[in-house]
Amino acid sequence: MANLTSEQANQLSDDFFYLAMAIGDFRYANWERLTLEENKELSEIQGAILSCGEDILAFSTTLVMDEVGESLAKIRSITGEIRGTIKGLKSIQKGLDAASTILILGVAILKRDPMGIGNSIKDLFMVWKGSPE
Amino acid sequence: MTKKYWFPIFLIGLSCGLISCVNLKTVRDFSETSHVSIQNFEQIDYTFLDHCLDRCEDEAIGKYEFNRVLECPCELYVEADSVTQIMYQAIGGYFEGLGNLSQNELTTYSTDAVVNSMTAQELGPLAIDANMAKAYSTLSNILLRSATDFYRRRKIAGYITEANEPLQVLLSAFQGIIRTNLKGELRFKKERMYTYYMDMKMNNTLQSDYEKGKATGDYYRVLEEIQTKEKQMDLFAEALNAIAKGHQVLYDGRDKLSDKDLTKAINGNSAQVKRLLSEFNKLNP
Repeated sequence: MANLTSEQANQLSDDFFYLAMAIGDFRYANWERLTLEENKELSEIQGAILSCGEDILAFSTTLVMDEVGESLAKIRSITGEIRGTIKGLKSIQKGLDAASTILILGVAILKRDPMGIGNSIKDLFMVWKGSPE
Repeated sequence: MTKKYWFPIFLIGLSCGLISCVNLKTVRDFSETSHVSIQNFEQIDYTFLDHCLDRCEDEAIGKYEFNRVLECPCELYVEADSVTQIMYQAIGGYFEGLGNLSQNELTTYSTDAVVNSMTAQELGPLAIDANMAKAYSTLSNILLRSATDFYRRRKIAGYITEANEPLQVLLSAFQGIIRTNLKGELRFKKERMYTYYMDMKMNNTLQSDYEKGKATGDYYRVLEEIQTKEKQMDLFAEALNAIAKGHQVLYDGRDKLSDKDLTKAINGNSAQVKRLLSEFNKLNP
């Protein structure tokens, strides 16, 4: 037999709800005609049908999980990749800092400035190795 | 204009012209709004377990039953809550990640240090004009940032493409759970309350006008509380729907994330999510 889908389960829950409501309306419409015992029995059945409908709704929620399992796994994997990319981009800062320092070095070389070249190399080293704190 | 000033302006103009300035603000704003909106799930303040415990207590009240400890079999409801939690975390996590990835701070770097060092006296005979230094610095920043932004934009477009289909499935399922299942449980709660008060009335349990008035007031108060929760759930589900549509717009325009039309469409969508968010917040006590 095929498995119950969440949609079918919701439909069942709907049917239980309207059935319980109909029993309640019947009880109130025939209140005087029903014996105490009959009314009590009907009331208990009504309560049990309501509970059953509620349980089916909760159950149907768990069925959704089977239906979206693949999508869920995919989104989780993509989110993991995004986090990895962010991590990578954050480490790029180090590379960019170094690139900026290289730019100064380049200018110093172009200007044939030995002192500037020396300082730039020192700065580049500091950027790459991290500033001593 | 002297040659001295012309060159820096030329450099900046050239760099901006060659590399279109990246605009990921659209993606960032939409992701952030979506993330905040999804976090509202925690504000709904009603879970499947709450429903089960309420029912258990209502049944005990109905039977005028006293127990030292109220035993409520709610395993199924705990399981249903774990499903909503998983969905909430997965969808929220995705938008949080996408929002973080599209933050400009991620690839915005200060060029002050560069400018300062280029114009500093310590450079000795290398006397670089301040304007020139700023131009070099701006150019380097744009070039460097464009390299990472290009990478970022490409990555974001890739993630949006990959995520769209499963995300639409999840958002639709999450919406269904909130609107049909969780809100559906409240419909049963309302019916239970109706039966409780109607039985009280039909049995002539209450004698004085005061008791009758009090019971009627109590019933409508409970009904109002339930209706407020139902409204919250509807707004939350509606927001999920707007988020799904917004992501679809992003997906359709993934190759032109800086396009003005796309920005306009997404901004309209974000505004709708924000409106729902504001309506939702108004319902919070």
